[in-house]
This record gives sequence, C-alpha cells and structure tokens, in this order.
Amino acid sequence: MEDIAAQIVDKAQKLGCQDAVADYVQNRSFQIRFARNEPVISNRWRESYASVFLVHDKRVVATDLKDLTDIDGALERLVKIAKASQRNPEYAGLAKGSFRYAPFRPDPKVLALQGGADFVEAAVNGALAEGAKECAGSFWRYEDEHVLATSNGVEGHDHRAGLYLSIRALVSLESSGHGIACASRLSRFDPEKAGRKAGRVAALAKDPKLGQAGRYTVVFDPLIFGTLTDQVARRLSAYSVVSGFSPFGKKVGKRVASPEVTMWDDGSEESLARKKFDMEGVPTKRHALIQRGILKTYLHNTSTAKRFKTKTTGNAGLIAPDAHAVFVKPGDWSKDEIFSEVKDGLWLTNTWYTRYQSYVKGDLSTIPRDGIFHIRKGEVVETWKDLRLTDNLVRLMKNVVALSDATEQMMWWGEVSLPNFVPYALIKDVNLTRSAE
Amino acid sequence: MDGEHDLVDFAVDYARQKGAAYAEARFERQEPEEFILKNGTLDALYVGADRGIGVRVLAKGGLGFAATNTMTKAEVRTIVDDAVRMAKGAKRETPITFAEEEAVTTEWTVPEQTKLADVTVEDKIAAFREIDRAVKELGFKIPSRYFQLSCNRITKYFANSEGSRIRSYSPRLRTSFFLTVVQGADAEQSHRDYGWSGGWEALRELNVTQRVTDEARSMQRSLLEGKKSPEGKMDLVVGPQVSGIAAHESCGHPTEADRVLGREASQAGKSFIGPDGIGMKVGSEVVNVCDDPTVEHAIAYYATDDEGVRARRRYLYKEGKVNEFLQNRETASAFGTRSNGASRAVNYNVEAIVRMANTFVEPKDHTIEEMIEGVHFGVYMKSFMEWNIDDKRFNAKYAGREAYLIENGEVKHPVRRTVVELTTPTFWSAVDAVGKDLEFEAGFCGKSDPSQALDASLGGPTMRLRNVYLR
Repeated sequence: MEDIAAQIVDKAQKLGCQDAVADYVQNRSFQIRFARNEPVISNRWRESYASVFLVHDKRVVATDLKDLTDIDGALERLVKIAKASQRNPEYAGLAKGSFRYAPFRPDPKVLALQGGADFVEAAVNGALAEGAKECAGSFWRYEDEHVLATSNGVEGHDHRAGLYLSIRALVSLESSGHGIACASRLSRFDPEKAGRKAGRVAALAKDPKLGQAGRYTVVFDPLIFGTLTDQVARRLSAYSVVSGFSPFGKKVGKRVASPEVTMWDDGSEESLARKKFDMEGVPTKRHALIQRGILKTYLHNTSTAKRFKTKTTGNAGLIAPDAHAVFVKPGDWSKDEIFSEVKDGLWLTNTWYTRYQSYVKGDLSTIPRDGIFHIRKGEVVETWKDLRLTDNLVRLMKNVVALSDATEQMMWWGEVSLPNFVPYALIKDVNLTRSAE
Repeated sequence: MDGEHDLVDFAVDYARQKGAAYAEARFERQEPEEFILKNGTLDALYVGADRGIGVRVLAKGGLGFAATNTMTKAEVRTIVDDAVRMAKGAKRETPITFAEEEAVTTEWTVPEQTKLADVTVEDKIAAFREIDRAVKELGFKIPSRYFQLSCNRITKYFANSEGSRIRSYSPRLRTSFFLTVVQGADAEQSHRDYGWSGGWEALRELNVTQRVTDEARSMQRSLLEGKKSPEGKMDLVVGPQVSGIAAHESCGHPTEADRVLGREASQAGKSFIGPDGIGMKVGSEVVNVCDDPTVEHAIAYYATDDEGVRARRRYLYKEGKVNEFLQNRETASAFGTRSNGASRAVNYNVEAIVRMANTFVEPKDHTIEEMIEGVHFGVYMKSFMEWNIDDKRFNAKYAGREAYLIENGEVKHPVRRTVVELTTPTFWSAVDAVGKDLEFEAGFCGKSDPSQALDASLGGPTMRLRNVYLR
C-alpha cells in the first residue's frame, strides 16, 4: 500500500499541527443479500480513503478524505478550519510511540474468496431442512487494510478480514428464528449451522399465543444476551459516561453485575474485529471491564484517560473511545442445566429496538423477536409472542444467575454492534410487558 | 463536475455493452460539517469530503451493485465489470424486474437564503455556543449538555440506461440536543432533533434556542412538580412529536413494499400488513397519514428519487385504511404497479431501497384547547423519550417525557413516564380528533444492510385518543 498515511502526517506537521493521525484504508469487502430463499443483490466495494485527525493549538478537527488526488490542498483547508475553531481544553494529546505490534496475517483462504453463493445456499438449505419456509439475510466477506501513522512516531500496518453470515428463517410472519455465523478462518465458518439454528427455532416457534406480562426467570440465548453485553460495553466508553449516555458513572470499583459476570474487551484476540492497534496506534490488548460483577474500568483514549486520572486502554476511535470486541467468561453450567433450572419461565432468542428512558439510570426496553418460549420444568411448553422486555440494564446484569460453559461470537444488525463472545445466560426476575387490550 | 458526469455516463454505457439489461450510475459528493459541543467545550469538528460513484445493474434477472471513490475510467470499468458479473451470477429462479418509468432529464436545487458554504466556521460555532449559553443561564443543574450541529451539502448526478439524466443539489442542516437535568438523586433526560433542507436560515426558522430552553424548563418542572402518571383506561392527547413518531413507526414502516415482500426480513423486519393489505382498516376515519418528499424545507426533501423517478405525496393511510405502499421500481414490478418515487440511498456506495421521506399525520381543524376541553380525565403527553416497536410494526411503546394530567378539560400538574403501550390498530382506532398544529422533527431512519441511517422528517399535529390504557 502507498505511504499516504505518513505523507498526511508530515504535511500536517509542516502546516503547524502539533498532533496528527492518519489511517489510510483500503476496503475490498463484498456481500450477498438474500430474501425469500434467493439472492436479491450482490454488493462489492473498492474504496480507498484516509481518516485524519489533526490538532492545531488544541483545536481538534477530523475528516475522512475520499479524494486522495489533492491531499495537500485538503489538509491546507482543514488546518484553516482548525485555526478558526476553538480550543478543546480536555484534549490531552496522543499516545507516544513507537509501538511493537504482534504479527498477524489474515487467512489467505478468506482473502482468496471471490464469492459466497455456496455459503448462502448452505445456510438456506440448513434452515429449510429444519422446517423453515422463508429465509433472508446476508453473507459478508470483510476485508480492509490499514496503514496508520501518527505524529508521535506510530507506524502500523494491519490487514483485517473475516466471514459473516446472518440468517433469519420464517415459518410464518410470527414464527421465526435467527442464526449467526462468524469466523476469521474459512475452516471455522459454518453457515449451515447458523441456518439450522434459525430453522429449528422458527419451527419450534409455530402457532405462538399472546404472551403473558409478568416477572420471569429467563434463559437468554447468546444473540439476545449479546445485545445486553453490547449495551454494557458501549455505555462503558468514557465518552458515554461524561456525555450522560451511561448508567455507569462513578461506578468504577462498585458492583454493576452479579458475581457470575466477568467480561473484558480485547481487540487483539481472534474475532471479526481483531486489530493490532487503536486509532492512536496503541497496541490492543485484553482489559477487564467487569470482574466478578465489579466494574474495573471505562474504555479510554489518551484524553479521557487523563480526565479520569488513569492510562489509555487502547480504545481510541477517531474522536471517542469505544470497545473493540467483548468477551464474557463462560460459566460452569451446561446449556441443559441452565434450561433445567427454569421451573416456570421464558427462553428469549433475539431482540431489537433497545431504547432508553434514562441512560443515567439504565432504564430501557427492548422487543424480543423470533422465538419466545414459555418453559416449565426445563421444557418448552408453549410459544408466545408480542412481549416487551422493560427493565434496567444494571439490574438485569445484577440478576444474572448462571452462564453456560461455552461462548459463541455474536454480531448482528443494529443490536450487537461489535463482536460479543457470549454464553447462554439465566437471569432472574426479568420484567416483561405487552400491549394493552 | 464534467469529468465526474462523463464517468457516470460511461458507466451506464459500458454496463449495457457488458450485457446489463438495465444500468444506472450515481455520482454523489457530500460535504458534511459536524460540530459537537459537550458541556460547553467544542469537543470535535468533523469536516468531511466524501465522493464517489455507485453502479447498479440488472442482468440475467439478478442485481449487482459496486462502488468506488477512485474517479478514473479504469476504476469505473472495474466496478461495472464487478456489478455485471455478480448480477449474472445470482442465478435466481424468479428474475428481478423493474416497473416501467419514463426517462427524466432535469436539474433541481434546494434554495438557500444564506448559503451554508458562506457561513464561517466561527459564526457556526458562535451560534451554537449561544444556544448553550441560553441553557446555562436558566440556572438549572444540568450536568450533561450535548449539542450537535450538522450541515451537509449533497450534490448528485444520476444517469440510467433508459435516458434519465438528473443533477441535484440539496443542502441540509440538522441540530440535535441531549440534556440531563438533575434534582437531588433524580434525573430527567431528553433528546430532540430538528432538520431543514436549505441554508443557514434554518437556525432562525427552527427557533432552536427557544425549543432548547423550553425543553429544559419542562424537564425542571417535571422533576419538581411531576407526579406518578395515572394507570387505567382514559383519554390521551398527544403532541406533534408523539403523532410524528407514531406516523413514522406504525404507518410509514409497515407500508414499505420491500418490507411487505420480505426483502428486509432479516434486518428491519416484515410488516403486519400483507401484500394484499390495501384497504385494510387500521385506524379511525379521521386518520390520514402521508409521506411526502416534496414538503418544502423538510430535511428529506427531494424532487426525484435515487432511481430517477419524480417524487410525489403518498397517502399511506387514508380515512383509517391502508391506501398505498411505498414503492421503488423493483417492488412496484412485483406488485404490478408503478414506483411512487420512494427509492433512496444514504450515499453513493449503497444501493437505493424503499424509504420514507417526510412522514406525517395530515392536519385537520381542531385546536389544542378544543381537544383538551373535551377530556374529563386523561393525560396530555406532549413528547416522549423511550420508544420502540416490534419488527412487524404492530406493538409500539412511547414513554412520556413531557406530560400533564388533564382533569375536567384543564391541564394540571406534570406526570412522569406515562407509558403508551398499544398495538398499531388500537392506537390509530382510538383517534377521534386531529389538530391543525402540524410540526416536524427530524430523525434518522435505519434500514438495510449495510445499515443506511437516512434523514427523515417525522410530523403531525396534536391528536386526541379516546379510552386507551395508560400506565
């Protein structure tokens, strides 16, 4: 790849910028979307751009340069804008390099892929074999290559690639299931398994009855538990905390989840979001977020870390810190033991549209979709529909009773915004509501 | 721009040479400026410079789309080759077809009284700071004040193999705020979002300072005087923000034809309205809900959509019945009808799909006072904070932000967290009066994969609902 990142940083410094970051990216991803069991469109991207962050006299500006034919002119305009802007007294600089990065290369078999029709077919056939009638979803081959340079001596190269398939299987409008397949290596990619999971849940969800509102012990499938852990991680960005978008303000060192819950952020571990460094060039590594229910840290860049009198966690984005990939420590219950523990409760498989009444309190609701099952003595006795989970994020995490002994990588449109490695979870006293008659 | 136009025309011609039955190309340049003012500090200024070409082709019954931001003939040739190859490789049992449309050659622009490009960064920041200063001067305890100002100038050139050639320019301004007002251990939070197609006059026209300070005052009053909202069946008067979100969520989304057909099933979901649902009764006879891209200065204004079809008003619900689906050329063909110009993309690098634009409850002739006078006991819910709806668009929830008790036709003290959790037919069937005070707010409408969060207006007047269950 061309040395555009270094050129940008050099030019910015010549224009008087104290700090500069340039992340030159080449995106070569492609996708197949499918619906009604057939492909509906294939998409392919050939994009090259530079994400740029400049600081001139504590005045911060950022951009994504898509026109790379006149970099000097673009930077001159950007610095002019920075000079007209205002100082940010909270800006505390960039991490000081240079850094050493662990070597990593993406799977050549993933990079060599030119299509994905077979994966789509395998997923759809898997769902249909389990009893589904209609399938929709998308297959992705992600690939982007980054060259990062900063004014603090960082030079990094990172080639990222992965495979992803999301499938929703339906028997009817109100009988559906969802499956996810994620892998960084072709040999570990199993779209048929995702299709079979979606199809099995859809078939089991046939002829749902109107659900009964109330408080229940609930088995959370990994996909919906991933929605909760994704929310936790997003609310742990220091930026969310200081902006009023988090219930975790002033909670470091305090209990925010049950002792069963240990979770961490790790951009260096294998996942669809694996990366060598954050936007300041800080090497990614494992950071405990919650240890046996106790909040250990927020997610920081250099500026938020200074404000909180701590060190960066290597989670810098272009402007705000954010999680890379979330890992939940598995419990010691088997999946069957978790279901057996439920005397009279629910099994929720997916959700969407999570919204807050109060971010600072954590009061939220979210709407389970796909299979909702009433369980008695560990067995599914009925399929329900039309329920809403109306509760509190911290309360839900504090009410985790058990976690299963294996995790799955979950990421899904809208709700699970980044890879979350999550087990089945058993949560007590969960409030479910429904539309009034 | 001529070079870019030439590349678009070349892409269309070359795609036809490569065997595409239909081809379209769209050049788009976006010049966004985003200011974030957090607790009085200008946190960041984002200045974008985005541009590229997307090509979509129909070949052997399949659809292919490819995009690049490298503006050379060789690169455009490569993405066309990609798109055609992928379309041919789809091997669909049921070929995709497009409904017929006339070729359109036109050029349209949104007028700006004061051009966004002519307002300096200093002036934009100063205006923004003035809003923050007005909030601070209220003297309330507001630990989080988060303001965002976004300006964008969107230039497009669209061409297709049927002869359409369309140039457009659309300047937009959006301002949003998120406040946290505290009283002891209690807190109220509010997020509001306003948008405009046009120039810098937006800040004056939208009256943002007044809106923000009014909101902060009502939050403070809720904390000091708010009581528990009553539970049970009663009358409900909802303000424009609530009727707007309901119009968008439970009228606009379920009438999107691609959703009805299942194309969005894995992402934004399907619809409780089936393909044969035209004429289905959903609400009372006073309910008309429209989607109209041609509302002047609404943030989702456009004259032609991203398939080159002329925009027009669509009556989604008319006299309480499903009247029309939102269609693009692909869905219109499946329904045996014509597109009604509802196809949009968030940028050059994604396909255009069926989208709402400016969706609103059509106003009628009641005043707010008349509607409240007719309520013996109930709640006047002016705005909401939390909301959601299921993926078939049947079960919706709106939780009150600013709400008041109504007793004997008079507005009394604030009530907190009124919960309206009703099905779509229950909500709209209970409407017995619609006001004339039409207002719009802005929103981002999410759909598709990759996700396309698109500018949308959500509007309506005050409405009265009879005998609904509230918590």
